[in-house]
Amino acid sequence: MSSRMDTIWSKLDRKSTAIAEFTMRQYRTRISTWVVMGASVVAIFLMLLFYIDAMNTEIEAIDNDGDSFDSDGDGYPDGQERLEGTNPNSAESYPIGVEPDPPEKWINEDDIDWEILVDGENYVGTDDDGDCLSQDTSSQRDGNDNDIDCDIVITVDSLNGTITIDSDSGVDEDPDEEKYGKEAGHRAFILGIGKFGIVYLLGIFLPLFLATGLIREEMNEGTIHYMLAKPIARGEVLLYRMLGYLGITWPFILGLCFVLSIITGFFGPGDGFFRWSDLGVWMSIAWAAMMVSLVYGTIFCGFGIIWKNGVILAILFAAWELGMTFVAILSGGDSAIRYFSVIGWGMIIVDAGVAVCWPDNWQLIELGLWGGGQGETNWLGETEYEALPGAAPLSLFTGYSGLGVSEWIAFVISTVVLLFQGIISWFIGQAIFKGKEVQ
Amino acid sequence: MMPDMTQHGKAETQQWQPVANTPVVMFDRVSKTYGRINALGGVSIGISGGVTGILGMNGAGKSTFFKLMMGKIKPSSGAIRLFGTDPWKNPAPYSRVGFVPEHEKMYDWMTALDFIVTFARLHGMTRDEATKEAIRVLTFVSLDEVMHKRIGQFSKGMRQRVKIAHALVNDPELIILDEPLQGCDPLARTTIMNVIKELGAMGRTVLVSSHILHEIERITEQIVILHRGRVLALGNSHAIREMLDQHPHKILLNCNEPRELAKAIVDLDEVTGLSFSDPTKLLIETRHLGEMHKKLPKAIVESGQIVTGIDNPDDDLQSILLYLTGGSA
Repeated sequence: MSSRMDTIWSKLDRKSTAIAEFTMRQYRTRISTWVVMGASVVAIFLMLLFYIDAMNTEIEAIDNDGDSFDSDGDGYPDGQERLEGTNPNSAESYPIGVEPDPPEKWINEDDIDWEILVDGENYVGTDDDGDCLSQDTSSQRDGNDNDIDCDIVITVDSLNGTITIDSDSGVDEDPDEEKYGKEAGHRAFILGIGKFGIVYLLGIFLPLFLATGLIREEMNEGTIHYMLAKPIARGEVLLYRMLGYLGITWPFILGLCFVLSIITGFFGPGDGFFRWSDLGVWMSIAWAAMMVSLVYGTIFCGFGIIWKNGVILAILFAAWELGMTFVAILSGGDSAIRYFSVIGWGMIIVDAGVAVCWPDNWQLIELGLWGGGQGETNWLGETEYEALPGAAPLSLFTGYSGLGVSEWIAFVISTVVLLFQGIISWFIGQAIFKGKEVQ
Repeated sequence: MMPDMTQHGKAETQQWQPVANTPVVMFDRVSKTYGRINALGGVSIGISGGVTGILGMNGAGKSTFFKLMMGKIKPSSGAIRLFGTDPWKNPAPYSRVGFVPEHEKMYDWMTALDFIVTFARLHGMTRDEATKEAIRVLTFVSLDEVMHKRIGQFSKGMRQRVKIAHALVNDPELIILDEPLQGCDPLARTTIMNVIKELGAMGRTVLVSSHILHEIERITEQIVILHRGRVLALGNSHAIREMLDQHPHKILLNCNEPRELAKAIVDLDEVTGLSFSDPTKLLIETRHLGEMHKKLPKAIVESGQIVTGIDNPDDDLQSILLYLTGGSA
């Protein structure tokens, strides 16, 4: 049995590695390869400069509940007076024998401190500054009527994807913008550059420049005759050329994601030395970009075989995929049309990676959008909360598979779908190639 | 539906066997049309063994003929067999074929050895086998000393020899050379011609295309003349020559006094006509070119004239074709 396997494998090995190796060496001799890769690196590192700048800029702290202000001018901030039980609006009333606090102490003093939320009702929140607990009546302290003073009731309905937040007044109402903004901004940057920059732009530009001519250029220059005058099927030539293409693009994508994960891992916010949990997200971004570039590469190579101006077809296809990228990002997980694209499935891979590696991500978005519960009441009588910095972009770049399955299953399904798309593209490509007259 | 793994299009060279008792190359009423243009019209031919020259003008159908044979294009009608197998449907016969394309473009960044080793591996050789065979064929075309140089640094003739060596690496029974002499200097031509003759002497079937008759005559006697997509003449070059002998040839002499020279030549039996196209030129017409060339030197010497040039303005394919087609070329 093994001898038969040996012959098939070693035969395949000789032909496949010969072409794949040849293709990789051919890429290395072309300036276009280096220009495309160099331009990608430069563009992504320019984006990274903005990120590093943002991470090093302090976010202005906002006194969301206004209690650092000294209303009566007696030297004591309103928050301190409330805590001590004196009247913040009367200059005669102030805590005697207590040193007045500096106003900064009453900024960001009641941060959001939620545990990881579960399905159903969650009772969270602590009144760190005492402005809830110090109120006189129990109806004031328990505004949400759950018989617990000064807490927040959060009802999670994961089935319908809704979250309602019902807080007692004065709980978690003055969050720390710096802490939140850095975390949310960091994650939003990773997802933004990951989904749009790496999975879409890199995933489409590498194949556009490197795969469209994989067979076409050989046909134009007549050098294809060296390959086709050998006892090897055209479908095999296509397959092994694709292997050579992946041998160049995949290490490039992996390398770029690795470098980015190291830089953002050290520059990112957090108490730890390195943000280990980000690594999984970077890995899913790299994996999505690899799968997407595999599918695009096979499709574009096929376009090149069909027509000498196949790059035009490739650009049209890239435009459709760009539209689908926006649909996939902006809809967050609500639109079904993205399933009729390549990029839509790539985005699901990233979203699945995020859900696994940052299990608190959706909650970070929710609390950021709630932002302490301050806001204006609109004409419908609903409160429009003022979101914390970074919450909106993080919310924008986070999505959901919409498949109704767990993250791991969504990850596997989208990988299988992309592989299937790649195999179908190869199959069609080789059928066209086989019927193509080479002049 | 699975890809076509078993039969057509699968290069299982180990299982593929040539059909016995069949010509190496067989064309049966093969036509190829591009739109309304007839590139090849009803060609039937069987070739086995020895060197065969495929002769024809540009656009006569030589390249189409080879492309059909190499399965690059599909015949519009008729059947093509390579060792008894349809090359459009199955690339397996190429394990016994070496093909030298006419395209000038090569992988200039590769060394000669690299190039041959890489493409030898497509025949299913291991890297070691391929290297061994590559060195053998590079020695055969006398390029073993420069095999580690990049192809881009090679002269035209060396590049042609690399292409020929690459086609010989699988020790093929059929070798197809599309215009191998085009653009080569005289020395390279001679080397390449010798290589081709040697291959023929080794018992291989060799097909060489050219548009220059005397080049082909130096290599082989077996000639196929293609014209406007049809086989115009087929056979031994002597037979073709004989046919040509019936047709008037022209010899152009350059001298100072053509009239004096004409007096010495006009009495020869072979001369059918004389004309003075130019004050310094004498044009002789004859039906027996060989005889005429034998007698001409003596006649010139006897006339005492100094002849500065002898030319056969006729001896090109164009005029032969003109004759063979009765003036319709």
